[in-house]
Amino acid sequence: MPFVLEISLKPHLFDAHGASVAKKARDYFGIPIDSARVVTVLTLDMDLKPEQLESIRTEIFTNPVTQISSYKPLDIPFDWAIWVGFRPGVRDNPGATALEAIEDIFAKKLPPQSRVYTSRRFCIEGKISREQAATIATQLLANDLIQQVKIFSQKDWDPSTGTGVIAPKVLLNHKPVVSSIPIDSDESLLAVSQKRNLALNPNDIPTIRKYFQQKQVIVARRRVGLAEPTDIELEYISQARSDHCNHNTFNGRFLYREQGKKGITEINSLFKTCIEKPTLEIKAKKPWVVSVLWDNAGVARFDEDNCYTITGETHNSPSNMEAYGGAITGIVGVYRDPMGTGLGSKLIAGTWGFCVGPRDYDGPLTPKLHPRRLLDGVIEGVRDGGNKSGIPTPTGCLVFHPGYLGKCLVFVTALGIMPSKVGGKPSWEKTTKKGQLVVMCGGRVGKDGIHGVTASSEVFSANTPAGHVQIGDPYTQKKMMDFLLEARDEGLIAYITDNGGGGLSSSVGESARFSNGVEIALDKVPLKYEGLDQWEIWISESQERMTLAIEPKHLARFMDLSAKHAVESTVIGSYTDSGKLHITWKGETCAFVDLSLLTEDFPQWEFDALWLSPEERGLAEPVLSAPEGSYTGLLCDMLDMPNLCSREWINRQYDHEVQGTSVIKPFVGVFADVPSDAGVLRPVLSSEKGIAIAQALLPGYSAIDTYSMTACVMDEAVRRVIAVGADPEQIGGVDNFCWPTIAHDPKKNPDGQYKAAQLVRSCMALADICRAYNIPLLSGKDSMYVDGHLPGKYGERHKVSALPTLLFTTSAIVPDVKNCTTADFKMPGDLIYVLGITKNELGASQLYELLGHLGKNVPIVNPAENLALYRALHKAINQGLCASVRGIYQGGLGVALAMSALAGDLGIFADLSKVPREGNLNELALLFSESAGRFVVSVSHENRHAFEAAFAAFDVARVGLVSDTGDFAIRGLDRRTLVETDVNTLRAAWKRRLGGLI
Amino acid sequence: MTPRVLVLAGYGLNCDYETEFAFEKSGAQAKRVHINSLISKEVSLTDFHILAFVGGFSWADDHGAGVIQAVRLKYNLGREILDFVEGGRLVIGICNGFQALVNLGLLPGLENDYTKRTVALTYNDSGNFRNAWVRVAANPKSPCVFTKGLGVVDMPIRHGEGKFFAEQDILDKLGENNQIALTYANLDGSPAQGKFPQNPNGSLLDIAGICDPTGRVFGLMPHPEAFIHPTNHPRWTFYREVQKRKGLENPPQPAIAVIKNAVDFAKQAF
Repeated sequence: MPFVLEISLKPHLFDAHGASVAKKARDYFGIPIDSARVVTVLTLDMDLKPEQLESIRTEIFTNPVTQISSYKPLDIPFDWAIWVGFRPGVRDNPGATALEAIEDIFAKKLPPQSRVYTSRRFCIEGKISREQAATIATQLLANDLIQQVKIFSQKDWDPSTGTGVIAPKVLLNHKPVVSSIPIDSDESLLAVSQKRNLALNPNDIPTIRKYFQQKQVIVARRRVGLAEPTDIELEYISQARSDHCNHNTFNGRFLYREQGKKGITEINSLFKTCIEKPTLEIKAKKPWVVSVLWDNAGVARFDEDNCYTITGETHNSPSNMEAYGGAITGIVGVYRDPMGTGLGSKLIAGTWGFCVGPRDYDGPLTPKLHPRRLLDGVIEGVRDGGNKSGIPTPTGCLVFHPGYLGKCLVFVTALGIMPSKVGGKPSWEKTTKKGQLVVMCGGRVGKDGIHGVTASSEVFSANTPAGHVQIGDPYTQKKMMDFLLEARDEGLIAYITDNGGGGLSSSVGESARFSNGVEIALDKVPLKYEGLDQWEIWISESQERMTLAIEPKHLARFMDLSAKHAVESTVIGSYTDSGKLHITWKGETCAFVDLSLLTEDFPQWEFDALWLSPEERGLAEPVLSAPEGSYTGLLCDMLDMPNLCSREWINRQYDHEVQGTSVIKPFVGVFADVPSDAGVLRPVLSSEKGIAIAQALLPGYSAIDTYSMTACVMDEAVRRVIAVGADPEQIGGVDNFCWPTIAHDPKKNPDGQYKAAQLVRSCMALADICRAYNIPLLSGKDSMYVDGHLPGKYGERHKVSALPTLLFTTSAIVPDVKNCTTADFKMPGDLIYVLGITKNELGASQLYELLGHLGKNVPIVNPAENLALYRALHKAINQGLCASVRGIYQGGLGVALAMSALAGDLGIFADLSKVPREGNLNELALLFSESAGRFVVSVSHENRHAFEAAFAAFDVARVGLVSDTGDFAIRGLDRRTLVETDVNTLRAAWKRRLGGLI
Repeated sequence: MTPRVLVLAGYGLNCDYETEFAFEKSGAQAKRVHINSLISKEVSLTDFHILAFVGGFSWADDHGAGVIQAVRLKYNLGREILDFVEGGRLVIGICNGFQALVNLGLLPGLENDYTKRTVALTYNDSGNFRNAWVRVAANPKSPCVFTKGLGVVDMPIRHGEGKFFAEQDILDKLGENNQIALTYANLDGSPAQGKFPQNPNGSLLDIAGICDPTGRVFGLMPHPEAFIHPTNHPRWTFYREVQKRKGLENPPQPAIAVIKNAVDFAKQAF
């Protein structure tokens, strides 16, 4: 019988977690609870003597200064007690570390079946109903996908038994079995595929059948005891052919045409045409581009001795179902990519990008998680994943839009650094060779992530693992990373890659292509619990694992280091040159496939793409006159817009200074509350060189034209790194596409052809801007199918598709971090300049959003003109001519001026008649147009002439000056004062919506 | 002689690199050592003059920050660490390291008892992890070796469990002994008096760091090793402008002084 230990803070101590639960219950649901206190419950499922129980309680789990504890339910007053515990098989990180601590004090290993399960009991006081208690339980404290709940009123409660004993143990009672799959006809294979959730593409089935019917294949298979394909073989093929692993959409054939125009443009693979080709062209010109387009992350030169690595990922569907688990798994997962690049790099930064529905959504649709709760969970997941990994989080971005009610987006980007040479050889090269051992290290394998979310429809029993929703474990991974860096530096690693999507099937399958063969003894793979089928072990996406190739002579040392770092490593096979993927289970073959099968001619995916121009769709500019009264209220309301207001509370929770590398933080200014344009790090502490990192998201522009959306996103991400002082000649990009489904289906996706055309146009812009700005795409990622089907008010279901979204990340070298600039106005009397031309480009702007319009004039990027300006600005920054620099982004000049003023806590006087512009612009456009290519720069009087001389050839004008009071004044074209306020008023407006969150 | 510094690493600790760098920059010879290398006797504590417990999330901080780290060290190296302290060598605990020190009982070390837990670092009053720069003031009367002549400095805090808590009798003793070496302060250096965000976590008496009665064991929540270059300071671009124009104002000095104090002391003492 397991023992249950309850732990709580002493009654006279403030319970901060309880208080935040109480606050959320009041703020989110209006449920008037007076207080909440949290009891941590440990269920110890192991044999223990009374004195052992007591020493565990006092030595580990009870702080004598702050806590009380008991093996009987603690007597804490409540009106309602809500118990929340994990379902079987959900990763219980505190349970695992509790076991480690118990083993430490007993100085011995516990029997393998010993477990500690953690859960929590919330003691809530307040006159609320059972329904209200249930709302708190299910909509605030627990997610039924991973957790179970019990609710007790004071009357239900038995003080001697309390919550009872619940040990969510996984019991499968299943003997692993390999099944054969009949392939007598395409139809029968398709039927099996559907029944078993293999997700084989119907078009691939003839190719697969043809392979298994070849005579030499049949003969070879007979020799190892196989006839028809096995489930594990088909799972392998299915994984490798999936859109996730094989990027079938981006490698597809697109037939693009424009409504009302003649001619069809054929694009054979967007990846090859718009990503690979421009990147290789630029790589040929830029020797700092080291290794791109094949490894887990791109590699670029940092300095003579070091390279940096970068990649981006998304973790949308899992986060949409279990926000915390999805997000922490996402960020911890992307951190394995730089670790698995070349011979392995040390992680130096992570960034975040969240797209969710409106936080205050109260419409008729009911997503699985309300956007507010979803955002809370996602923020916390990235917080724990990043902070516990010891990796700084220098920047991030957030977009609210109703399109993400269907599915949220969680972007995570990771940067690493590695020595240019390991053991005298280039660190970015790696290969596997015959005779090397296949080693899996890190976590163990369970039913995690098998067939993704399809498993969610299965019926739960008390012991069914809820493994399809994962919870990342940064602690286990941090230990593994420390270990692997040491192993790398000792020259023990021949090849390394991570286990992400597709698990061993992908990592082993891809690494075996180098040696051209591999043999795996699947029964050697360490499991979390018995009873997994062989195919499940092979494709499980259990986290925190890497796959390596190790020379046999290095194995002993490798295992010693592994033990020192308390990391589990296991030899599971060896690389061969047989041309085969050969998998055995206790000596019997269960898979025997030619690795070349995956390079066979599988049919290419095809898409019809039909572009309807904004005019074809009836878009037009609104008929709108400029306000006659004061603009002060308008500017305040702009600053209060959900996508412009302060979100300080998010990055404030993220450690952005660990490793001691921080140069430009996520926040700048007197009160450190204004977001910086980009983060800058000094990854090598003894060097003055830095890396700037920035990202941009402008999905709203997709409502007009995805070509402009893409160009503007890229331009913004470029301007952000330029603004802090990065070198325009050394900017790399990471494209991260999230798109709604583009395959046309008259019923399920009637506008699929248009969405396909949106993707084509976006990729065209990507290639154009890369070439124009000379940006190689160091890495990239695509996530299609950003759609959801949400129940409405009457039981009907609505398909909700996200706006086509591109997160573009820039990383760039800062030659000397001491020259970096920030956005805050520095000194009263400094002169304010606007760089770049303001045009009539209010389409999809924040101003139009506020006023209820979409418009048509989305900003158009002019990269050739911009680049010359960016080069001049970089030179001026390095000469120390700029006191502050900020790009003009969403919200236009008005918001940009406000941000620099708030950051400096200084007022301004500005005159709109001086602003460089094109055509006859009214004041609304001058203040709020979102034209690309612009900056606000402040300059000291002393530097005035040098600065003006440096920009004599550009559209640059002095528009005002920084004032020595907090007064914020802007004069219009007819010398009328439009805005007359002060920085405190602006700051209050900017923080009104979300400024109170912690 | 060059003092030798052992910087603990492993099990989720994560400030080991920059702490090593800060000690090296301050004139010491520093080495990152995995906790298990000490336990296995591959590395001996007696070879070092300063022991640094660094920041991070040891054992993920799942059962109270620094708790399991303290358990592991106490059960495997308890005697060696006590000998180290009793031998007059220096110990610093930063953030997670401070949490480990109070759970080990090395701090506050009242009545020469280095095994008793009498103070705690508990959850921030805000209920959340927070990364922000704070101003801290050193107590000039404290025997603390690390804060000698420190005055008022800026450093970042990065923690979810940094609220210093002890019962009143313990707080009184800490005050009497001048063991309260470092407190959260307002911009002008005056005590924060519990005000958020100057006091970022609700620490009693604004306590940011304490030492043992000898001043040779010191723990603090803010991170001196995160202010090793002038460019770490959140306002460094502003100070650069001020200096350029007026050439008067002194920019904040890196908090590495905390570490340099220890190295200088060790140079004299050993």
